[in-house]
Amino acid sequence: MLEINNLIYSVGNFTLGPISLTLEKGEYLALFGPSGSGKSLFLELISGIRTVQSGTILFDGNEITYTPPQKRPVAMLFQDFALFPHMSVIDNITFPLKMRGYTADEKRERADELGGYLSIDHLMNRSVEGLSGGEKQRVALARAIACDPAILLLDEPLSALDQELREEAIALLTLVKSSSRAIIHVTHNRDEIQELATRTQYFKS
Amino acid sequence: MFIFVSMRSYSQYSNTRILFMFLGGVILLFLIAPLVGMFISVKSPELFSTLTDNAVRSSILRTLLISALATIAASLLAIPLAYLLARRTFPLKGVVEAIIDLPIVIPHSAAGIALLGFISRDSLLGSVADSFGITLVGSPIAIGLAMAFVSVPFLITSARDGFAAVPIRLERAAETLGAGQFTVFREISLPLAKRSVISGLVLMFARGMSEFGAVVIVAYHPMTTPVLIFDRFNSFGLDYARPVAAIFIVITLLIFVILRIYQKR
Repeated sequence: MLEINNLIYSVGNFTLGPISLTLEKGEYLALFGPSGSGKSLFLELISGIRTVQSGTILFDGNEITYTPPQKRPVAMLFQDFALFPHMSVIDNITFPLKMRGYTADEKRERADELGGYLSIDHLMNRSVEGLSGGEKQRVALARAIACDPAILLLDEPLSALDQELREEAIALLTLVKSSSRAIIHVTHNRDEIQELATRTQYFKS
Repeated sequence: MFIFVSMRSYSQYSNTRILFMFLGGVILLFLIAPLVGMFISVKSPELFSTLTDNAVRSSILRTLLISALATIAASLLAIPLAYLLARRTFPLKGVVEAIIDLPIVIPHSAAGIALLGFISRDSLLGSVADSFGITLVGSPIAIGLAMAFVSVPFLITSARDGFAAVPIRLERAAETLGAGQFTVFREISLPLAKRSVISGLVLMFARGMSEFGAVVIVAYHPMTTPVLIFDRFNSFGLDYARPVAAIFIVITLLIFVILRIYQKR
C-alpha cells in the first residue's frame, strides 16, 4: 500500500534518513524513538507538508513523492491537534468534506456518524476554544478520519494527555484501526503503543 | 508593613516619577489643547450654517466615498502582498519592505508632484486614460490615487503582522485536509488575521481621508474636505475655516474611536 524508499531530508545540521519502509492495509505501525530524532518530520514528509529532497514515496504503486498534500490519500493527527480556532466543532470536522465539495446534507450526515462514533455529538455547535484536551483530540481525530483516508498519521497522539485520558485515547485509537486503513503512530514512549501496534520499529535519524 | 508603605510611597512620589509625569503631561496638553481650543472658539450659529453648507457637505461625502473606494481597490492588491511578506522569503524582500515604508517618510507634497507626473497627459497612464476620454489630473481618480499612495503602507503593515501571527501549523493542517493554497488563505489565514486586516483597512481609510499634501497637488478641484479647509483659510481666514475643521475632526475622531473599541474588544 505505502512504500517509502531511501527517504532523505536535511534541515540545518540535521539529516533524516535514508529511511525505507513498507506498510500494508490494516497495519498499525508504531515508530518509537527519542525526542529530536525527526519522527514528526518523517510524518510531515509522508503527508506532503514538506517535500523530500531525495528518495521516493509510492501509494498503491503510484509515485506521490511530489504530490501536493491536498491530493494525497493521507490525513494527519497533529500533536497539538491544530484545530481551527475560528470554527465550531462541526465546521472543523466537516472541513475536509467541504474541501471535497460534499453537500450540506452529506456533511451533516457524516458529522452525525462521526459524532456518535467518537462520542462528541453533544459538542458539535461548541467553539473549539473551550474544549478539554481529551475533547480536542476526539474532534481532531474525527476531522482526520472524516474523509476515510487510506493512511492515517498520528504524531505523538497521547503525549498531551494525562494518564486517565491516555487510556481513553488508546481505546479511541483502537476504534479507528481499520482493515482498510494503514496507521503510522510516532511516539517517544514505547510502552504506550504495546496494545495498539501490529508492528513496532525503532526510529533513528 | 511600615517598610512596605514607605517603599510604596517612595516609588509613587519619587522625584523622577514626578518629573516624568510633568513632562508627559506637557506633551499630552500640547496634543489636546489646540483641538479643545478650536472647539471652544467655534460658535454654534457658525457650526450650524457650516453643517448646512452644500459645499461642505458634498466635500465631506466626496472625501469619505473616495477614501473608502481607494481603500477597497488598494486592498485587493495590498492584502496579497501583505500575505507574501508574512509567509515567504524572497530575494530583495528588505527592499520591498523599504518601498512600502517610503510614502510614510517622503513629504506628501513631493509625493503629489511625483503622482502628478505619473498621471499627466504626457505620461503612459495619463495618455492611455486620455484615449478613453478620461482626464486623470483633477479627477476623483487622481484624489483616490493620492490617498492610496500615502495610506496603503498602514494596511500592508497591519495585515502583514496579522498574517504573521497565524500559526503556520494551521495552514499546513488545512492542506493535509484537502485545501489548496488559495483555499487555505481564504478559509484559514484571512479569517484568523481578520482583526489586523480590518484595523489596517480602517487606518488606511482614515489616513486617506485626512490627506492634504498629495491630494491638493493632483486635484485642487473637486475639493476634498482637507483641501476645502485650506481653501477657506487661504481665501477668508481662520474664522471661516475653523467650523469646517471642527466638523471634519469630529468625523475622524468618530472613526478613530470605533477602531479603538474594535481593537480592544
